[in-house]
Amino acid sequence: MLKALFHILIFPGLSFLFVFGFFAEYVDRKLYARLQNRIGPPWFQPLADFIKLISKQEIIPEEADNNVFKLMPLLALAASSVAILYIPISGERSVFSFNGDVIVVLYLLTIPTFAYFLGGWYSRSVYSMIGAVRSLTQLFAYEVPLFLCILASAMLADTWSLSGIAAFYNQHIGYWFCNIIGFVVALICLLGKLEKVPFDIPEAETEIVAGSFTEYNGRLLAFIRMSFNVEMVVGASLLAAVFLPFGLNLAPAGVLICYLIQVLIIIVAISFLRTLFARLRLDQMINFCWKYLAPLAFLQVLFNLTLKVVLPR
Amino acid sequence: MGIISKIINWSRLKSPWVLHFNTGACNACDIEIIAALTPRYDLERFGVVLKATPRHADVLLCSGPVTKQIESRLLRIYEQMSEPKFVVAVGTCACSGGVFNGCYNVAGGINSVIPVSAYIPGCPASPKAIIDGVVKLLQSLEAKPKSKRPGGKK
Repeated sequence: MLKALFHILIFPGLSFLFVFGFFAEYVDRKLYARLQNRIGPPWFQPLADFIKLISKQEIIPEEADNNVFKLMPLLALAASSVAILYIPISGERSVFSFNGDVIVVLYLLTIPTFAYFLGGWYSRSVYSMIGAVRSLTQLFAYEVPLFLCILASAMLADTWSLSGIAAFYNQHIGYWFCNIIGFVVALICLLGKLEKVPFDIPEAETEIVAGSFTEYNGRLLAFIRMSFNVEMVVGASLLAAVFLPFGLNLAPAGVLICYLIQVLIIIVAISFLRTLFARLRLDQMINFCWKYLAPLAFLQVLFNLTLKVVLPR
Repeated sequence: MGIISKIINWSRLKSPWVLHFNTGACNACDIEIIAALTPRYDLERFGVVLKATPRHADVLLCSGPVTKQIESRLLRIYEQMSEPKFVVAVGTCACSGGVFNGCYNVAGGINSVIPVSAYIPGCPASPKAIIDGVVKLLQSLEAKPKSKRPGGKK
């Protein structure tokens, strides 16, 4: 009981995720600024934003559905926080691990997108409705390649548990190179999931104000921003567990440091991509995902299936 | 109410999000506001981020005299912002109406419609003056943590 509480509230749970989420946002914003020849925000910036938003007055639009409007940010935050419990971050086994938790994590990471959709839709503002529909449309574009890549990697490892996948690739380092296409495709899809710049179509501030979150303010906005940070950390951890499973047989502290470095590498890659590209249109994004990413993901699946037959176990 | 209100006040000083609203300016002040937000001056190092919606913003940067047509819209945008909120009048026209004061279509300066926290004169106010004005507004906030709209009058 006490151990479960510790897991939920402190170590891979909320406290760790909040601190690491703030840190991830800081790294992202600072790198973004440095790459644009700016100085960038100080280290406490995400924390100051969070406290300020939490202490602000809360306005709920008259037209909005009161319950859904209030519930959705919390649902998004909760769903993305729960997913970390199934990802192996401090050793070969995650806190709760069973055969099939890959699917659970992937679906838990889908819930925030639906929460943003519902929250935006029930805000009853034109801008937030457009943003909500866009975020759902975008979901159909990046979700398939992302799932295929991660499942292809699971296929090669012959297990449906994330801990099993991480352990398998840790034992057979050579197999890591087989998944490079999948890693690149999954990284691009993660940008779509996090609504980062090439795919920030749902919250394009130059067109539709702030997308689904136009009407959110105060505490609810703070939770939405936090759930984005947590999603970034959890998404990066998922990719790290599936595609960069190194250093799992070190001492516990070493494993944790290895994990933090892997996640940081992915976050740095995300901010580089965010700086490099400009926003795509929704149709361009969907074309890109279905024309290039999905076939590449299928290629990865075929490749892994062939490997499974050809290579010795 | 010691340490918690201090932390909240600190966080407000460190992350003022601004909304830029043109109340009828000739665009000169708007260009200068945008210039102040470019990488040259890099306001993000003070936590300033330009937001597109009044719901997210803490500081409303108004430029230009308030025309009769935009008066109700300015009031509406002001009411959409959540407390604590601050209004900064950028440019001479925003401070007093400038040369347009008394025109048949002009209601006057920003302070004739909504309470203003800081006045930044200039035609147009330069980016450095805008940054200086916002910093002074934040300093006045630091000195009097309890008052909601410091420096309501010039």
